[in-house]
Amino acid sequence: MATVKIYTTPACTYCIKAKDYFKAKNIPFEEVNVAEDMVAQQEMIARTGQLSVPVIEVNGKMLDPGWNPQKFEAAYS
Amino acid sequence: MYELAIIGGGPAAVAAGVYAGRKQIKTVLITEGFGGQSLVSNDIQNWIGDLNISGIELAKKMEAHVRSQQTVDIKDFELVKTIQKINDGPPVGHFLITTEAGETFESKTVLFTTGSRRRRLGVPGEDEFDGRGVVFCSTCDAPLFRDKIVAIVGGGNAGLEAVVDSIPYASQIYLIIRGNELKGDAITQEKVKTHPKVKILFNTEITKINGEKFLTSIDLVNSQTKETSNLDVGGVFVEIGAVPNSEPVKDLVELNKGREIVVDHKTQLSSQVGLWAAGDVSDVLFKQNNISAGDAVKAILSIYDYLHRNQLTGAHQ
Repeated sequence: MATVKIYTTPACTYCIKAKDYFKAKNIPFEEVNVAEDMVAQQEMIARTGQLSVPVIEVNGKMLDPGWNPQKFEAAYS
Repeated sequence: MYELAIIGGGPAAVAAGVYAGRKQIKTVLITEGFGGQSLVSNDIQNWIGDLNISGIELAKKMEAHVRSQQTVDIKDFELVKTIQKINDGPPVGHFLITTEAGETFESKTVLFTTGSRRRRLGVPGEDEFDGRGVVFCSTCDAPLFRDKIVAIVGGGNAGLEAVVDSIPYASQIYLIIRGNELKGDAITQEKVKTHPKVKILFNTEITKINGEKFLTSIDLVNSQTKETSNLDVGGVFVEIGAVPNSEPVKDLVELNKGREIVVDHKTQLSSQVGLWAAGDVSDVLFKQNNISAGDAVKAILSIYDYLHRNQLTGAHQ
């Protein structure tokens, strides 16, 4: 099964939508709050080259920031 | 064939879906997602019936309400690309709706409630640094600008709220206003004006966004003195209003200069027979969740009357 990690900030609506989607589909995920974890924030910015959340990582590969169910499913399935 | 297609997922679409369900109109609701533009708001204090509610909570409640309607099919995660009128006989033909994914739907009537999207600055560098310092969701991304200097553009409520979102993180905030006064709610204005981190630049516009890997500075011009300057910033949050999402019907209905759908404000009917519009995509004067919901209800009552008057409901066929 693919592993899913999501980099979030607390008030980010699209982060909440993505997490709701994972829960609805019973997809296990790990959440990293990059408003608090500055090391993870710097790593996320360095790897994506962008200053934006949510960032979703599937099997260690980060997708472009934002929440798009079709793009996530393409990477996950 | 559906009797009604509702396009959109904001308060207008949901109110319409609930009323269509109660009128037992055979309906399809097509949307990218629920909640509308308030989805990104942390604290909505004027939705009637809730003292305060977050955008995401409101979206969930609205989605649950419309999903409870038995005659309404929901197609979510779908964006409508085009709507065509098919003139296939009396009394008024029907509509063919095509989504970005290529799915098609046919319906006797359409209620178009696609709202609006963020207006962009339209200056060099904006597209290049979108996501690399240019921000369109301050509630989402403000925490990524910790200890950075940021510029926030726009003196309405959205601009002021972006300042409030940034205060805990940014080292300094420039609020850039094209005119000579703030326009948002007085209570938020006071908070912004008095905060030591915030400096307000009136009569000022961004002319260019600069950077390398990430945004590093902006060029400014003072609209009165014509004086130009450059400001070192790590982020630019753009909160300068909205443009209506009217593209899928631009060849079907009359639009005003602002690209809003012109409607009869008694019924919400557009210039195209069989096509109604409500909410921020219409030429309604005040863009408010409660008004969008109410206008959509007017539209459904008008659509119900139209379907029966023209004997277009299942009961007549």
